[in-house]
Amino acid sequence: MRGERMELELRAKLAIYEHFSATGRRPSVEDLAPRVGVGVAQVREIFRRLQAQRVLVLEKDGESIRMAPPFSGIPTQHRVTAGGVSYHANCAWDALGIPAALHQPATVHSRCEQSMEPLEMEVSDRGPDVSDWLFHCVVPAAQWWDDIVFT
Amino acid sequence: MLFFRSEERVREWCSATGYPLRPLVRMDQLWELAREWYSTRLQPDSRRPQPAEMRGIFARLGLVGDFWDPQSDVFGGGSA
Repeated sequence: MRGERMELELRAKLAIYEHFSATGRRPSVEDLAPRVGVGVAQVREIFRRLQAQRVLVLEKDGESIRMAPPFSGIPTQHRVTAGGVSYHANCAWDALGIPAALHQPATVHSRCEQSMEPLEMEVSDRGPDVSDWLFHCVVPAAQWWDDIVFT
Repeated sequence: MLFFRSEERVREWCSATGYPLRPLVRMDQLWELAREWYSTRLQPDSRRPQPAEMRGIFARLGLVGDFWDPQSDVFGGGSA
């Protein structure tokens, strides 16, 4: 029984990431049900378990994916283009996380949070071009998951 | 977790928002963090780094101190 649950969670997780990778958008529970081979209600239950495992962050409706790190389910200021697909990242870290996850060259489009100067950074499989831009995180590592959306 | 054009811009932002200035991370360091966290994320056997692994990754990149300790109680947390 436990093995079956874990198998369904893995199938759902892979299907979620495949959908994000292919489309740049979050899958709905209806998108996933046939991919996982279960009903919509069971996908909602799997989503809740994946959220408890910190694989996903859900919206308040309990079924829309807010985050499947590094992908964001909603538009953000951190956009990444790769292979003709446009993605949104949850934060600056995840903006580089998308090309790292996809193993594809990408362009990161973001901004300086203070001056609003646009950032456009090419990222290859060896990482970003040499850049003197900086990353700053207010929240200490021990508290990242206290409010991961704010982090 | 935000991008800034320079340390001066970070300081201005902290001053304007009241948030504390934290350790700054270069883009080459951020790429290594992104790789460590996400390079296997689309694969079946992927998993998030656990606290001891996180500590090792941060230390290797020179990111040390309580701010980077995922189990530090200095800031009253411990949830990473």
